[in-house]
Amino acid sequence: MTSAEGTAPDLTAEILRNALCVAAEEAGIVVVRSAYSAFIVEGADAAAAILDARGRLVAHSLSTALIQCASLRSALPFLLDAHPAETMEPGDVFVLNDVYQGGIHANDLLVFKPVFVDGMPAYFTGTLIHVADLSGISAGGMASDATDVFLEGLQLPPVRIATADGLVDDLVRVLAANSRTPERLVGDLRALVAGANVAARRLAEIIETYTPAGLARGVADYLAHTERRMRDGLAGIPAGTRRASYTLDDGHTVRVAVTSDGSGGLTVDFDGTDEQVPLPVNSGFSQTIGGVLYAVRCFVDPALPMNEGCFTPVDIRLPRGTLVHCTRPFPGGGRFGTVAAAEEAVLSAIAPDGAAASGILQAFSISGVRTPWLHMAFDLGGTGARPDGDGVDATGALFGGGRNIVPQVEPVEARLPVRIEEVSLIPDSGGRGRHRGGLGTRTVLRVLEDARVDTRGDRLRRPPPGASGGSPGRPGSYRRERVDGRVEPLDAKATRQPLAAGEALIVETSGGGGHGPPGHRDPEALTRDRADGRTT
Amino acid sequence: MSVTLATDVGGTFTDVVLTGPDGRVVVAKTLTTPDDPTEGLLRGVRRALADGGVPAGEVTRFVHATTLATNVILERTGVPVAFVTTEGFRSMLALGRQARVEEDRYDRFFVQPEPPVPLTHTFAVPERIDATGAVLTPLDEKAAESVAERIAGLGVSAVAICLLHSYVNPAHERRLAEIVAARLPDGTPVVASCDVWPELGEYERATTTLMSAYVGPVMAAYLRRLEERLRGVGVVAPVRVMESAGGVLPAALAADRAVYTIESGPAAGVVAAARLGSRRGLADLVCFDMGGTTAKAGLVRGGRPGITHEFQVGGKGSHGGRRPGTGVPIKVPAIDLAEVGSGGGSIAWADAGTLRVGPRSAGADPGPACYGRGGTLPTVTDADLVLGYLAPDGFGAFHLDASLARSAIEEHVARPLGVDVIGAAAAIHDIAGAQMGAAVHVVTVRRGIDPRGFTLVALGGAAPTHVARLAERFGIGRVLVPPHAGVGSAAGLLHADLAIERARTFLAPVSRLTSCSASRDALGELADLLDELERAARADLSAGGEAVTVRSVGIRFVGQAHAFTVELPAGPVTPETVQRAAEEFYKRYHESYGIDLRDPVELTTARVRVTLPGDDPPSPRVTPVPSPAASRRIWLSGEWLDVPVRARTSHVPGETFEGPCVVTEPQSSLLVPSGWRGTVDDEGAILLEARS
Repeated sequence: MTSAEGTAPDLTAEILRNALCVAAEEAGIVVVRSAYSAFIVEGADAAAAILDARGRLVAHSLSTALIQCASLRSALPFLLDAHPAETMEPGDVFVLNDVYQGGIHANDLLVFKPVFVDGMPAYFTGTLIHVADLSGISAGGMASDATDVFLEGLQLPPVRIATADGLVDDLVRVLAANSRTPERLVGDLRALVAGANVAARRLAEIIETYTPAGLARGVADYLAHTERRMRDGLAGIPAGTRRASYTLDDGHTVRVAVTSDGSGGLTVDFDGTDEQVPLPVNSGFSQTIGGVLYAVRCFVDPALPMNEGCFTPVDIRLPRGTLVHCTRPFPGGGRFGTVAAAEEAVLSAIAPDGAAASGILQAFSISGVRTPWLHMAFDLGGTGARPDGDGVDATGALFGGGRNIVPQVEPVEARLPVRIEEVSLIPDSGGRGRHRGGLGTRTVLRVLEDARVDTRGDRLRRPPPGASGGSPGRPGSYRRERVDGRVEPLDAKATRQPLAAGEALIVETSGGGGHGPPGHRDPEALTRDRADGRTT
Repeated sequence: MSVTLATDVGGTFTDVVLTGPDGRVVVAKTLTTPDDPTEGLLRGVRRALADGGVPAGEVTRFVHATTLATNVILERTGVPVAFVTTEGFRSMLALGRQARVEEDRYDRFFVQPEPPVPLTHTFAVPERIDATGAVLTPLDEKAAESVAERIAGLGVSAVAICLLHSYVNPAHERRLAEIVAARLPDGTPVVASCDVWPELGEYERATTTLMSAYVGPVMAAYLRRLEERLRGVGVVAPVRVMESAGGVLPAALAADRAVYTIESGPAAGVVAAARLGSRRGLADLVCFDMGGTTAKAGLVRGGRPGITHEFQVGGKGSHGGRRPGTGVPIKVPAIDLAEVGSGGGSIAWADAGTLRVGPRSAGADPGPACYGRGGTLPTVTDADLVLGYLAPDGFGAFHLDASLARSAIEEHVARPLGVDVIGAAAAIHDIAGAQMGAAVHVVTVRRGIDPRGFTLVALGGAAPTHVARLAERFGIGRVLVPPHAGVGSAAGLLHADLAIERARTFLAPVSRLTSCSASRDALGELADLLDELERAARADLSAGGEAVTVRSVGIRFVGQAHAFTVELPAGPVTPETVQRAAEEFYKRYHESYGIDLRDPVELTTARVRVTLPGDDPPSPRVTPVPSPAASRRIWLSGEWLDVPVRARTSHVPGETFEGPCVVTEPQSSLLVPSGWRGTVDDEGAILLEARS
């Protein structure tokens, strides 16, 4: 059902925009299909984007999370500083992972390939995944006791990983020598390069079809159009400054002041946020930017495309040396708790009467003691209830992802010496309220060989608070079940804890906070929750 | 000699096409009878047999396309289902894998979708099989009995079962199915995942099984009734049903594996378009199929229809509702299509000063106002009639009444909007065109594909009236209107292959199959599995020696997730044939990803496709039937024009003609606007080309 204006006014422009997105999409598919990283293979997605030589984000694949976009976008200027455009040759491909130069942490490799117009790089294709292993104190890069960045893994400033002649073998050898799973690492690297190559090839075809000037004009129009719509949306936020904060499990606090000019411009200032800490709790600046953009985008048309036009109207100020912008050598790998805190703070600064807080993703990795196998996964918490409805079960929405990143049981068991005995919603885990918080989940994973486990959770000691009189969600946990059935708690940020053959890791995620007084809940909703087993 | 009856039941019309022993094609179009679709179908069958002078007993093939499965799922009219899985995983369907993608991820008001089966109807039993098929915990038969008891108490009409790793060892599923079935009323379907889609990945296997259980009983009852009624008129040929990927299934199997028929009708159209294109050297096509209720667009590139394995029921978003990660996945292969709820029967209405068309359809009953069957609401067909695009004497048995059309438009659109009837009719036609455009848009522009190099193929009763204007909308310069375009999907079924695919997960390193030592067991296992699948597939089709078998394996690098399907040569499975398949995999991997890698590979799936090829004789050369010159006033580009009107059958092969004109045939009316030149080929197909 549409009205008469259903046709595109400018078909060519629209085909062009979609062709750019499809090019990124194809790159993402190539990376996922050719990667070895357990993370990717078992269901997570690859990020892929197209940027221009000014570092502006042009398009990205559907499965690219905003924090990944933000990383690619933040890193490109550093790449261009280290390797000025005029020094780049056709066929060059670059890699980096430096958290202080737009990266995320050691295991997230960013790969860029320039696309040339008239002999100069005019665009870049970028791909990013969490690779199998790249050194560091724990396999898989999740050491929660890494007191500096060097313990998180091998550091890569922007360097050339391939030329027209193929991979730079010397560097590949160094990388392989620094991985517990060298074949997989090299496989992942090849996948990233292949993805960037495919997108670059498509982009070259697009340039051929539309001419360089035509593409430049199309991109400029696209970004300007998006920016206009973004500003239109943000103009709905009343002028003035509003402050909010969110405190992590360990007591560190993220503070934000959001100032709206009332006409589409927004300043998001984290002045007053606690200092960075010598543990992987901090966030690299690119990750906080991604989190802020995520929160801000929740207040504009959700269907807006994600490109530079979304970034331009938002002035993000991140004091250096704080939790939200760590500096060398403070580690950045454990960022999600901090990024989620920043998101939550921005959300409640903009909409003080909005949703209750959500359970967030809880990561864990299990690695073999005798053989180098690795299982990495996320489980997701319930989202906070809203003024108008219940929270969503186990989608940990703050990162913009969903349960598709949670692997299915059968492929994991077919590949690794583990047995998954339970994946279930936890009854009564959603915070009570007029609207109930979303439920958390319980996963029971038994190892069949001796292993070690790393965990990384937050909002476990301080569960997601309720709003407007709602109760907090039930806190999640990590626990170990001994062979004799004894269950003992593991730390929320446990590192290399032994898990002997026959023992199990139990991961429970936090439920979302409730909204409104529990006594005001609709009796029908109470009955339905009981019938469904969401409450007992 | 073979006599084939091909039938397509749509939302408004039921099309029947018969090819007799002489290759002559007879067409009958009747109104669909929604309460009992077999009623309208039988009417069409009787008429086609009578018109063709063929005794019912001589029909050798009966091929059927139906949108029943799709409608049941979209309208949620399937039967109540209970779901049983392994203990510990009762939340499987509720948790799902619903990704929050695109706009959903930024939506503060995102509402959690209801699980496809309510939690109150979801059960778990203690049992466990591991990834190698070994039993870790035997099926707890007592617990199974008690679950069966509770299911019996719910009064469900079907049960879906998906236990972990049943693709490698189905024993527990089969036994559990027996126990559950024993407690339920006779004939209640209990569908085990190992029988529907025995492949690794419990969530997709579960949802695919579930949808089969949900639709199956409705489909079975319908096909049973259809067979009975056909017997009643003397048609004894077995009923075959078009499946979503373009093959054809026997009726019994279509009921058991109902999810395989989800895109039955539309798939027939795309397959027909691909075949029609290839006969004319056209490999890149947009198939545009517009009937009474909906319009679909499908893409054919390089002569092959696009196939998707990511059909999402209730999915949403920019890929025509098939966006991965939304809705409930069905993992069976289906022809890739976009569909909009806009057809000839779509109702036009004034909504607070704006004109809207659809999504409500007048369907077959009461139908558009101009049918004179009691419909008073104006439809797209009414607008087309008022504008002169359709002949007032109608088509086939349907007389169209222009005055009824005019007054319906006057009352419900023109007067509320304060415009004249012609202006209103033209706007309705344009809006319908824009909606058709949306379907074409999804399969082309949205995917970054420029449609301008493609040929638009018109199928379905309403398509010829709208196709040229649709082409103009996209700058498409070539339009193919095949003979019998008005019943295009059914005509496509005439030559469809009878085909079925059976597959099962088979995980084994290639090195184990190719090394000279210890390879015998694994090789034997693979050979046995392929034989078993082939036997099953041949039994499915009741196929004898004439069937063609293609065996293939999924191969991937050890440690990766995505496999390529590689064909095995005919003959015994040997270390050499497996090695050759691996070499082919390396080659294709290199071609696809630009990575030249020789790492260890493993087999993932054994797959067998058995095909009974359909016949595809050249249609007899058309013999023109002279008809007197006629003309009609039509509304084109804001003015009334007198344009020539000719019967399609009057055109001589090779003849060309210029727009504006109208070409009529019994089931449709082709509008050729100014700027288009038509050419008629030997088989009577019309190729329109834009004069630029």
